[in-house]
Amino acid sequence: MSLQITDLHKSFEGQVALERITLTVGSAEFVCLLGPSGCGKTTLLRIVAGLLPADGGAITLGERNLATLPARERGFGIVFQSYSLFPHMTVAQNVGYGLAIRNTPATATKARVTELLDMVGLADFVGRYPAQLSGGQQQRVAIARALAVNPSLLLLDEPLSALDARVRADLRHELREVQRRLGIPTIMVTHDQEEAMAMADRVVCMHQGRIEQAGTPRELYLRPRTRFVANFMGHSNLLTPAQAQMLQPTLPGSAPDGMALLCVRPERLRIEARAEAPGRVLGTTFLGSIQRIQVRWHDLDLLVETSSAQPLQPGDTVALGLNADDCAWVQA
Amino acid sequence: MSGAALPPMSAGERWLLRACLWLPLAALVLFFGIPMLSIAWRSVMQDSGGIGWGNYAALLDTPGVRRALSNSLLLGAVTTAVTLLLAFVVAYGMERTCMPGRNFVGMALALPMLAPSLVLGLGLIFLLGRNGIVGKMLGVRPEIYGFWGLLIADVLYALPQAVLIVRTALRQGDARQYDAAEVLGATPWRQFRDITLPQARYGLLSAAFVVFTITITDFGNAVVIGGNFPVLATEIYNQVSGQMKFGMGAVVGLLLLAPAALSIFIERFAARRAGAGAESALPPTPTRRAGRDTAFFFANLVIAGSIVAVVATVVLASFIRLWPYRLDLSLKHYDITIAGGYAPLWTSLWVSALAAIIGTALLFLLCFGIRRLPGPAARAATLLSALPVGVPGLVLGLAYVFTFNAGGMPWGLLYGTAILLALCNYYHYHTQGFVTMMTGMRNVPATLEDATTVLGGGTWRVLRDVVLPALMPTLLAVLVFLFMRSMVTLSAVIFLITPSLPMGAVTVMRLDEAGFTSQAAAFSTCIMAVVGSLALALHLLARKRRPTA
Repeated sequence: MSLQITDLHKSFEGQVALERITLTVGSAEFVCLLGPSGCGKTTLLRIVAGLLPADGGAITLGERNLATLPARERGFGIVFQSYSLFPHMTVAQNVGYGLAIRNTPATATKARVTELLDMVGLADFVGRYPAQLSGGQQQRVAIARALAVNPSLLLLDEPLSALDARVRADLRHELREVQRRLGIPTIMVTHDQEEAMAMADRVVCMHQGRIEQAGTPRELYLRPRTRFVANFMGHSNLLTPAQAQMLQPTLPGSAPDGMALLCVRPERLRIEARAEAPGRVLGTTFLGSIQRIQVRWHDLDLLVETSSAQPLQPGDTVALGLNADDCAWVQA
Repeated sequence: MSGAALPPMSAGERWLLRACLWLPLAALVLFFGIPMLSIAWRSVMQDSGGIGWGNYAALLDTPGVRRALSNSLLLGAVTTAVTLLLAFVVAYGMERTCMPGRNFVGMALALPMLAPSLVLGLGLIFLLGRNGIVGKMLGVRPEIYGFWGLLIADVLYALPQAVLIVRTALRQGDARQYDAAEVLGATPWRQFRDITLPQARYGLLSAAFVVFTITITDFGNAVVIGGNFPVLATEIYNQVSGQMKFGMGAVVGLLLLAPAALSIFIERFAARRAGAGAESALPPTPTRRAGRDTAFFFANLVIAGSIVAVVATVVLASFIRLWPYRLDLSLKHYDITIAGGYAPLWTSLWVSALAAIIGTALLFLLCFGIRRLPGPAARAATLLSALPVGVPGLVLGLAYVFTFNAGGMPWGLLYGTAILLALCNYYHYHTQGFVTMMTGMRNVPATLEDATTVLGGGTWRVLRDVVLPALMPTLLAVLVFLFMRSMVTLSAVIFLITPSLPMGAVTVMRLDEAGFTSQAAAFSTCIMAVVGSLALALHLLARKRRPTA
């Protein structure tokens, strides 16, 4: 079943939070809502969950109209950043909570809880209380609790943001694996573009209550359509057509219709130390495997990324190069 | 858009949520809003009939009231000055020094909260009165009744509440400000003057208003130890109970509202000015400094010792055959046969239990409703809930008389019932309970509520599995608070009790008035024992309930 959102809009006391959102989530698709805080992504998720009313528009899941259906009757699963487990219940009781609400027989519940705890690797923790678990373990319990009821849609509200970097990377992978295996349509809210790119089938980049661009992570990174997307999805150099032509003479001297700037990703710029070249290294930032280099090229400040093996020092003169295929035109 | 838009839910759920908000809001309007309006209405109803400012004009022409007014102002001002000074010494000693005996000081300060205010006056009489132990030992007959006795009793009564406020203000300091000042070369005195005092400024101001209000509206001590020093609290009682001048009583009541109303205003202003401080402020931890610690230790020992001495004297005197002449132990004062014997104590227990249960239940529903149904009604409820703290018990009690002493009206049926006494005691302390409950409600994890809903749980499950477990300590705290206050309060119920429904604190006053001072002491001891042991039991229960995980 796929989720279909049409013309959804919402405002809070005159302040527009969502502006005519139209979006489809496929039957086994993992969709990330990505954007800075205040862009409306959480509002959209809460409306889909049924925790907030929309001002207008339609939401359907398969044939079912969700607009008037109470959250408790939608049969979704939700996981929050703050774990949100019942502190006075054991791990098993937490995971089985949704089943208890549905009056599932005790034996069936027990089997399902065991199955899910196996899946998230917490089989030995059934009798523990949330306070006795680490953050990562608690979030696994929360994920198991959401999945226990065979949800028709899985909603994730920044589920990894409160975790340590290492745990976050592990869980990112696990969560994606589980979702792929179960084939549940999933919407995840995040403000971390790296997380969105690593996990999503499709990224929906939001800004000021609107969808700026939706597409595969690769599309959004390599072919951003707006200046906002170009800046939000990693670093970029934005050049006017004239400046771009200076770097790569085969590029056209004016932008296509509706477009204004050329987006060049820092790692797509070739850099080479050469005497008498027009570029000068202003500074370098060592980031382990790669390094980020600020270059003054004619009167332009550009950002370049290369392997950190390339020896470059502030003050070096450098030449820059670019393939015409490696850049994308964006709207202003 | 009127009202807040609710997420989709079944009609039953929606009505359940509405009931949570509207039921306690209606009760608040009925048992607080309307009585307060009726006292204002009564103040413009002239004795000669008709509407006008006659009562206000008569106020200035009644020499008794004028004298009481100036006495009250004088007493209030002096009590406030003395209490603030002592409160700062205690609060600073507790929060910012390493003086020994901080636990003792804390316990001593809790004592006046366990007893009706007039116990302090009673204790002073046993110590310093005409037949006091001090006078007997020195062979003199000191005169404690009047201004000086009232001053000491009121200072001791108001001190714990002032200390509470000043301690809170001192606790909000930031250690790093002192570190910075130290590194910049500021002396301790300079640090005190430039950091500590400015920080405690609003706390001191707010404490000053609280003390002033308590002092001018306290009824118990004024009756017991006031002697020939009439104050507004006793004057209003005389006007209403003695001379049946209801209009004049209403005017004096409104007069008593003024300082409290002003203090609420100042407090709001102060809260905004003081701000929340740095998010990650580190509370200052005092270091040992022998000279300062010793000085504060002795000062606190004297202050806390005085409170303990006064309260302990009451307990002791209740077991003495004939204070202070025949000092052998006896239980004869506990054989109380006059003024209804021990019946008032049971009434007090019953009324206090009712007040605690009704109050906690209504406060819980109200705060839950405000949380789940934001909108104009929730805002109105929040606003109205801030007001009762500004209404002295005496005024609220009088307002209840005006509203519910209405024979022909259906609500007149409540007059003279335990329910009405319980409601009066609850609404007297509604604001404090409301603030505690809202603070507790804020700690209920909102995302867990959402997770429960998405998992298929309705309002009932959210209440049972999320809200109640998280709120248990708060509910218990509110329950104990309402019970304790209701057990010892005198001023709110003095107008409402009837011969068939006497309250404990009133009985102490009646016994003392009739000259049975030792029986009054015995009865006070019983009240303190009940309140103290119940508070202790619930405290232990609360500690046991804390999750072990």
